[in-house]
Amino acid sequence: MSKFLKLIYNELYKIYVRQSTWVMYILLALIVLGGAILTTTFDDITTEYSDNWREELTQENEKLLNQNTEMAENSGPEFTVEYNSGEIAKNNYYLEHDIRPLNYGAWQYVQENAGLLSFVSLFTIIIGASVVASEFKWGTIKLLLIRPISRTMILLSKFSAVLVFALFSLVFVMLSSLLIGGIFFGFEGINPHIVLEKTEGFTYVPLIGETLSAYGYNIINLVMMTTFAFMISTIFRNSSLAIGLGIFLMMGGSMVVGIFRDYDWAKYILFANTDLKQYETGNVLMEGMTLGFSITILIVYFIVFISLSWVFFNKRDVAGQ
Amino acid sequence: MNQVALELKEVKKSIGKKEIIKGLNLQVNQGEVYGFIGPNGAGKTTTIRMIVGLMKIGSGDVRILGESIQSNYKEAAKNIGAIVENPELYPFMTGWQNLLHFARMYQGISKKRIKEVVSLVGLEKVIDDKVGKYSLGMRQRLGIAQAILHNPAVLILDEPTNGLDPAGIREIREYIRQLAIQENVAVIISSHLLSEIELMCDRIGIIQNGELITERYVNDEADQTEAKNKVVFEVGQAEQAANILKDKDLSFERDGDQIMVNLSRQEIPGIVKALVEHNISVYCVTETKTTLEDQFLEVTGGNVIE
Repeated sequence: MSKFLKLIYNELYKIYVRQSTWVMYILLALIVLGGAILTTTFDDITTEYSDNWREELTQENEKLLNQNTEMAENSGPEFTVEYNSGEIAKNNYYLEHDIRPLNYGAWQYVQENAGLLSFVSLFTIIIGASVVASEFKWGTIKLLLIRPISRTMILLSKFSAVLVFALFSLVFVMLSSLLIGGIFFGFEGINPHIVLEKTEGFTYVPLIGETLSAYGYNIINLVMMTTFAFMISTIFRNSSLAIGLGIFLMMGGSMVVGIFRDYDWAKYILFANTDLKQYETGNVLMEGMTLGFSITILIVYFIVFISLSWVFFNKRDVAGQ
Repeated sequence: MNQVALELKEVKKSIGKKEIIKGLNLQVNQGEVYGFIGPNGAGKTTTIRMIVGLMKIGSGDVRILGESIQSNYKEAAKNIGAIVENPELYPFMTGWQNLLHFARMYQGISKKRIKEVVSLVGLEKVIDDKVGKYSLGMRQRLGIAQAILHNPAVLILDEPTNGLDPAGIREIREYIRQLAIQENVAVIISSHLLSEIELMCDRIGIIQNGELITERYVNDEADQTEAKNKVVFEVGQAEQAANILKDKDLSFERDGDQIMVNLSRQEIPGIVKALVEHNISVYCVTETKTTLEDQFLEVTGGNVIE
């Protein structure tokens, strides 16, 4: 093993040897399992289309239309009407293009669970916030920094280990969703396609690619918030502060943008740019923002976070508590 | 031929506007055990932290086997093993896991070497227990183990016998001496257990207010033969004995049957002979050595932090 890989191995070892890390994975597994149980018991998503799917779709459309007219008469909630209309349009798309709708299965469950990445983000922020601060808390930082290895390498190995942890957790969510989804709903086949509503209207797309991109978009926020928590923890050597700020901003970031969105400079706020999906769906947050602009902003923030961590970690004397 | 293992040249350090280390010069040779003592707040720990690279050196330089810790950190750090303050290790890992963890930070430390070190410090039985369950003495041993894993040329131990039982203290003491003699390691020990330092070290340096105020050899032969120590004579006829000493122009103190005189070692037999020749019964002759503690207090003028 190369020297640097050994350092990353050391850091990962320290993360995974602790029980608290395994509690996180158990929680994730329970959430995935609970989601599957909820879906089977309460949801009608699992409607199975038989070979007579054309008739079934037409019937479903009629039912939805009836519901909508009823709603209109009794002034029911508008979003239900909207949702129903959307479903009708989607069903019509199936009929027009002669596409048999895909039955619910493991891959769709995996795709839906992209939302679980906020839990992965949460856990990664906790790990990232403590990976440096804990060494100070335990006093082991002294034994770590007297080795013939530069501080830069130590810091880099720690940051890399946090990203590897995020990757492992993400793969864990995907695999456990696939496995549990497979057990509960079965598999959709080798390369299932689904119909999705995009900027240009309905499109027929491969599900696996769609799933990967859903996870991909979520990773950006995860990496940015983890890097932020890592920086706070390196500068202040206080994991609680870093965890608190990291989670607060992860949850409240979009709110911050909401407050200032009338100002022109709001587009330079990190959280206005973490959701790159806005350029795919076309619901761009503010005028004048492009994909290139957001990526540039993200890179600038990332470099600032990492450099600040590096400067503080490298320059500071390690004195007594 | 022993070369200089550790060298401090005009090392200075200021924190804020206060200069806490005011130009330290120090040399420790290979195979030498050097005691580094001083009152609280004198700058011992700061100096050690600068030697191992935890603190930046204000000005001056620290060299390990000739390599500067500032300009050639990696080469210099390879040859240092240290415990800085308390032996703090990962409490949630076993002793063995802790040692493996630190071994991975060097090139080519075999499992065999780790086992060897474990048995050297006598931790075989508990090495697979979590460090959180260790007593302070056990952690101290594990701390020493991680410090010597990579066969460093310079070993820095802060309070190495702290928390050890008497048997453990003796073992570690012997082990440190053995390291110095057999493996030619330069050992720097900081402690305020002065009697401990006296037993372990070849040479001591006393630091106060950021300055090395004195350096001396422990158990120096020359020192023993020439230095005057207080000698107590317990005699049957104190009055007569006092007169004899007066005749010899020696100043003395008398306390009942005891007469206290400042004498060098070589002068003692002559005095005893004179006393016996005058038919004075000599019951007891005691040479009271000034201890390191006396010297320390004398030199530092008590424990005052400025």
